Parts: sequence; structure tokens; C-alpha cells
Amino acid sequence: MNAPQPALVAPRPERLRLVGQRRQLLAVMHQRLMFGMLVYAGLIALIALRILYLAAFGDHAGRKEGLTSFVPDRGDILDRDGQPLATTIDAWSIAIHPTKVIGDKLALAQRLAQLMPERSAEQYFAMLRSGKSFFYLRRRAAPELVEAVNAIGEPGLAIEREPDRLYPQTTLAASVVGFTGIDGHGGAGIERAFDDYLSNPDTRGKPLVSSISSRVQQALEAELGDAMQHFSAIGAAGVVMDVHTGEILAMTSLPTYNPNAPGQGTPEQHFNRATLGVFELGSTFKPFTLAMAMDSGVVSGPGQMYNCPQTLPAYGHIVHDTHPFGRQCSVAEIMMESSNIGMAQMADKLGKDRQKAWLKKMGFLDRVEIELKERGRPLTPGARWGPFETMTIGFGQGIAVAPLQLAMGYATLFDGGIYHPPTILKVGPDRPLAPGRRVFSEDTSYRMRSLLRLVVMKGTGRKADAPGYRVGGKTGTAQKLINGRYSNTINITSFAGVFPMDDPRYVIVVMLDEPKATKETYGFTTAGWNVAPVVSRTVSRIAPMLGVAPNMHREPNMSEVLPFVQEAHKQDAKKD
Amino acid sequence: MSARSFGSLFMVASCAGAALGCYLVSLRVASERASLEDVETRIVLAQRDMRMIQTEIGTRGRLSQLERWNAGAFSLSAPAANQFLEGSFQLAQMVAPQHQVDFQAPVVLAAAPAPEKPGPLEQASTDETGAPTAATPGGMLHQASLKTETREVPATTAITMSPTAATKSADKPVTAAKPAQHSSADKPGLAAAQLRPAKVAVAQKKTVDKPALGATKPMTKHVELAKNDPLLPVAAKHSGKAKDSPPAR
Repeated sequence: MNAPQPALVAPRPERLRLVGQRRQLLAVMHQRLMFGMLVYAGLIALIALRILYLAAFGDHAGRKEGLTSFVPDRGDILDRDGQPLATTIDAWSIAIHPTKVIGDKLALAQRLAQLMPERSAEQYFAMLRSGKSFFYLRRRAAPELVEAVNAIGEPGLAIEREPDRLYPQTTLAASVVGFTGIDGHGGAGIERAFDDYLSNPDTRGKPLVSSISSRVQQALEAELGDAMQHFSAIGAAGVVMDVHTGEILAMTSLPTYNPNAPGQGTPEQHFNRATLGVFELGSTFKPFTLAMAMDSGVVSGPGQMYNCPQTLPAYGHIVHDTHPFGRQCSVAEIMMESSNIGMAQMADKLGKDRQKAWLKKMGFLDRVEIELKERGRPLTPGARWGPFETMTIGFGQGIAVAPLQLAMGYATLFDGGIYHPPTILKVGPDRPLAPGRRVFSEDTSYRMRSLLRLVVMKGTGRKADAPGYRVGGKTGTAQKLINGRYSNTINITSFAGVFPMDDPRYVIVVMLDEPKATKETYGFTTAGWNVAPVVSRTVSRIAPMLGVAPNMHREPNMSEVLPFVQEAHKQDAKKD
Repeated sequence: MSARSFGSLFMVASCAGAALGCYLVSLRVASERASLEDVETRIVLAQRDMRMIQTEIGTRGRLSQLERWNAGAFSLSAPAANQFLEGSFQLAQMVAPQHQVDFQAPVVLAAAPAPEKPGPLEQASTDETGAPTAATPGGMLHQASLKTETREVPATTAITMSPTAATKSADKPVTAAKPAQHSSADKPGLAAAQLRPAKVAVAQKKTVDKPALGATKPMTKHVELAKNDPLLPVAAKHSGKAKDSPPAR
């Protein structure tokens, strides 16, 4: 009945040990349980937090990646008005895996030859039996063809959509825009120069806005192309440039190629005459010599007189004029009639060192500063640069530059003497104009206006005048160097013009390579006859687009030069 | 008692309810978001389609193609420099009536304030013969012509009228100037002075009417003499203004 008294019944030592063990065990269990609970609680808290985070900031599982905004596989290239010059489209490509073909290979080859006749059935059959794993049959296939190929039902035929570069304007501005190779990377022009920008996923969503205006480009290409065809020239180049910003509004090199099929172009077509080709551009250089001389104080103004004999013997050579004065003549007349003899004297007085320094300052001794990779290196006499070479450079022989460089020189001269490097990208809020550097004084720039307007009003460039648009400029006919000798019959003719001359805004440079005489030119191949009309027609077309209003009553200040021109002698545009 | 024993149950139920409610909200949000993304996707697909269509249109209408059409099919060329106008004023000038008809200008005597009414006046005289819509204009003109013999009368009437009529007439002819070619053309030319003068002339009208209708031409000739004094300064002012303004702008 009575419970054993603890005091009386001494617990057995095993039992005591057992109690102690159990307690210990319990404590351990508690500890472990607590630990496990903490771990679970931690995990749950972690998951809960993660869920909350995802709910707040995360994407959910059904979200489609990359569809929130449209990013092309390669950035677009636009003209300055937003018209696409290059864009990327999804094109169909047809390919074949010969190893996966299960049907009758002969029948398949015959069917393919029917649909795509560029290869014969034998060639298709050989392809199918070649054991190779993959062939492209057609890239950029038309939808009807894709449908027909799909209808064959052969699992070995692969029809895929792949991004393809399209140039909607085809040949327009091909030499500026360039093309992409089969790997999708740029092979020339902007495509090559801005390859990183156009292919980088971060930047390609934003199109590259070029400074080209496709309407101006079209007008220039059309007029130049007509002239090239008409005069059977082997090539032509043209540049239209903004005087104040250095933006290139149009630049072309003919003959050109279709960038949609660049492989079909010949090396001649791929050669960019406007930037990569360098040419002796002849008398178009004379305004620079005169500006240098005026800025250096060698020439006081358009009224200074020079002795202009029939021929000028100098340093063991003889300088000729096409239409010699044979009398005293003023600087204005020298410009107007493009006299080599007068210019040679000015250059001689300027001297080699000063001439070199000026040319360096104008950027004529280095590659043209432009983003494109196709840039030609100017050719100069180099070590042979002596006093006679100084004279010849004075009238544009003995130095070869790219037509773009010539445009750049005119832009510098008529932007108040400030040099801005030419650019192919639009200057705007995204890309403000960098400050230029002064080359000529503002006064020289101003005085050149009336001198060049005189050339077009009364001198060799009369056919370049576009009524109402006040074109001023200079013709240039340079004999072409063939096998080390200057040819008497083969020329490169050029015209560098600026309009409107009372407030210069645009420069246009046009060049024809080896134009032939026609009936309308009375057998002449000089610039006044073949390129000057191109300028007239082009300016008449592009000036209204560029916001230059025609005005018959405005002219630069011609009273600065007209008093120094003798009207008596006959003037004709037969010379350069 | 029972409430306390069921307390935990309520607790569980309300917790479950709240959790369900929260879940429903999140479900709702998720479905909204999904539909939004659907719209976004559709927008992107539409953008792609637009891009394709624009590319196609741009390619088919490329500039070289347009040039070919312009040069070949339509024979279009760029406008010449003299085809550009300097502004709306120059454009308006081109449709403005010519001033060459001014040799008849003196006739304006009756309608003195109207600036350029030689044309309408001529028409008015021809129209009158057909159907004088309002008797008043005819009356005025005739009276002026008739009274040329006694010079003082027309001069005084013209002068007395002018301060009141001039203001009205000045704007009326302008608005009415456009329909000048129509049969109502006589109104602008003459009506300017008529409305008020008509009352003055009512008395004379009846006596005047018949001879006037028959002899419109002699009337104008007579008027030439009479007008010179009062009208010339007014007419000169108007013509002067018209000539001065174009170069000024």
C-alpha cells in the first residue's frame, strides 16, 4: 500500500543513471528540435521574402523576354530627314541538309532545278550526294518560292527566317552608306565605320542618323550620272556640304554599285572617288592660293596688278596660259580668266614655307578628317617641293587631294575662315557642333565672295550659274597623268561652287574623270563646258529644298571687283 | 462558452479568408499584368508589321524610281527661280485687278470713297440697261451726270454725303468687291454712295430715270468735267496707296 519511501528505498544506481541520461537526452532533443525549427523558420522566411521580392519587382514566369520593345538585329541608318537608308528585315532563307534527306534524291534535285534554275539538276544531285551536312540554296527568297519549296515536303529542306540587311534606296548614296557582308558586318562606308554601334545590342535600338539628305543626294546623283553618260566619262564624284557645320548633305562616287548585292559590284564601282581617290584638281585650287596670299599680305586686294605676259619662264620651265593676257592684269582678272601665269607669280611670292604651312593648316597635307574608313592620302611633291613646285601648286597642279577635301577647303574659306572637320553624322541636339579652328581671317573670306561670284558672272564658270541662287565658284581642268606624262587630251574636270554667294551656306564640288568632247561643247573637254552645267542644274534643284530662296535682286558686293575688270577683251568659257 | 471554444476555429477561418483574399488580389494583379503584356506584345508585333510595310513602300517608292517617273512619264522638272513667290502678299498681287482701266476712273465721282471701281462701273452701266435691280444706284449716277450742266449741285451733294457715306462705303465695296462680275456688280460700284444718297435723290429719281436709261454713255462723258474738282484728291490718295504698298512690303 504504502509507496516505498524514497528515503528507505535507495534507488538503484543504474536507474539513477537512466534518469540522468534521459534528461540529457531530452535536453539534446530540445536543442535539436529548436535548431531544426529555426532552420525551417529561416528557410520559410527566406522563401517568403523571395516571394515578396518577386511579387514586388520580379518578372513572372509567363513573361516573354525581349518583346517589350522592338530592337532590330542591326541598327538602322537614316538620312537627316528620317528616311531609312539601311534597315534590317526578316528574310526567308532556303537551305538543305543532304544527310537528312529521306526521299528520292534524283526527283528532289529535278524539282529544285525547276524552282531555282540558277543551278542545274545535276548540280543539285551532286550536292545531295556530297555527304556534306549543309548548303544554302537561296537567301532572301521570295515568299512564293518559299511556299513552293515547302510544298515539296522534304524534311531535309530547311526554311528559316533570318535577319537581312536591306537598302531601300538601292544605289542611292551607296558609297557613303556602304554594305554588309554575309556575316552581317559592315564592308564599307557607314556600315563599316560604325559597325560597333550598329551591332551592339545596347545601341542598335537607336537608329544612326546620318547627315545625308536623300533628296539632295538623288538630285546630285541624277545630274552627275546624266553628265557622266553624256560625256562618256569613266567616273564622277560629287559632294554637297554645309559650310557652317561641315555636314555632308550628299556625296557620291560614280559608277556605283547596289549594296543589296555588293558581290556583283566591280572593284571600279566599289572605289570611292569622293574620299579615297585623290586627283589633281587644277584651277579649283586657285582661290586657296589667292586667299593665302591676301591673308599673308602678299596681295593687297582684287585691284593689285600683275604682269601677265604670253608665257612665263620660271626656274627652268615655262608656264603657259590657255588664253594669255599679254598685258598688265588685275587680280580680279586673273581669277576671272583663271590665269596660271598670274597665280604662279602670287604663289612664288608667297614662298614654299608659307604655302606648306597654309596647306597644313587647311588639312590638305593629311588624310581627310571624316568618320569613314575609306580615306585617301593626298599626294604632294614631297622632297621635290621646290620653288617651281610651289608655283604649280599655286594653280593646282602637283598636288592631289580627294574631292571631299576640296569641298572642305571651300567650306573653310567661306565659313568666315573657320575650319570644321567634315562629318557624315547629323549635327543636332544629340550631337552639337564642336567649335572649329580659324584658318583664314574673316576679311579674306568676305573678299573672296565677290571674286568667285565674278568667275561665274563673267569668267570661265558662266555655265554654272543658276539664276536667282547666286552661285560663285571656280572651274578646274587638270591634265591627267598617264604613264608619268601629262596627257594633252585627257582631263579631269571639276567645279567647286558655293551658294548663295552673298551669304554662303552650301558648297558643291563636282568632278568628271576623263570626259569626252561632244558636239555641244564644240570639241572642248574643259570644266566650263561639262561640269559647270551640272552645277547649275543641281543647284537649281537642291537650293529650294535646302531653304535657299531664289532672289534676282541680291548679289555679293560686286563693286569690290568690277572696277578692276577690263570689259574689252573677249571672254569665253573655253578655258579651265 | 461555445464562442470561446470555437474561437480558434474562427481565428483559423478568418486567417484562411484573409489569405484567400490576398491570393485573389494577387491573382487578379497577375492576370492584369499578363493581359498588359499581351497588349505590349501586340504593339511590338504591330510595330514590326508597320516597319515591314514602311520598308516595302519606301523600297517601291524609292527616289530613283520617282525620278524615272518624273523625268519619263510626267516630264516634271524643278521649278525655276522666277516661279517662287516671296509670300502671300505677292500671290495676292497676282490676282489683283490691273490698274490699266484707270482712264475711266473719273466716273467714280459718284462712288468717290470706293478705291478701285472702274471695272465694276463699266459693268454696271451695261447691266443697268438689262435690269436695274436697285433703282437707287441708277438714280445716283444719272443725277450726277445730269447735273453736270450746273456744276455746283453734284459737288455739294458729294461733299455733304462723303463724311457719313465714306465710312460705310469704305468697307462695303471691299466685301462686295469679289462678286463684281455678277449681275449685282453694280452694287459695289455704286451702292457705296447710294444707300444714303438714294433718299436725297428719291425726289429727283422719277424725273431722272427715263432719260438716264436711254443715255448712259453721254452721261459718263459729261461727268468727266464735273468730277475733277472734288474727287481727284480722294482718287489720287487711293491709287497712291495701292502703288506704294507693294514695294513697302
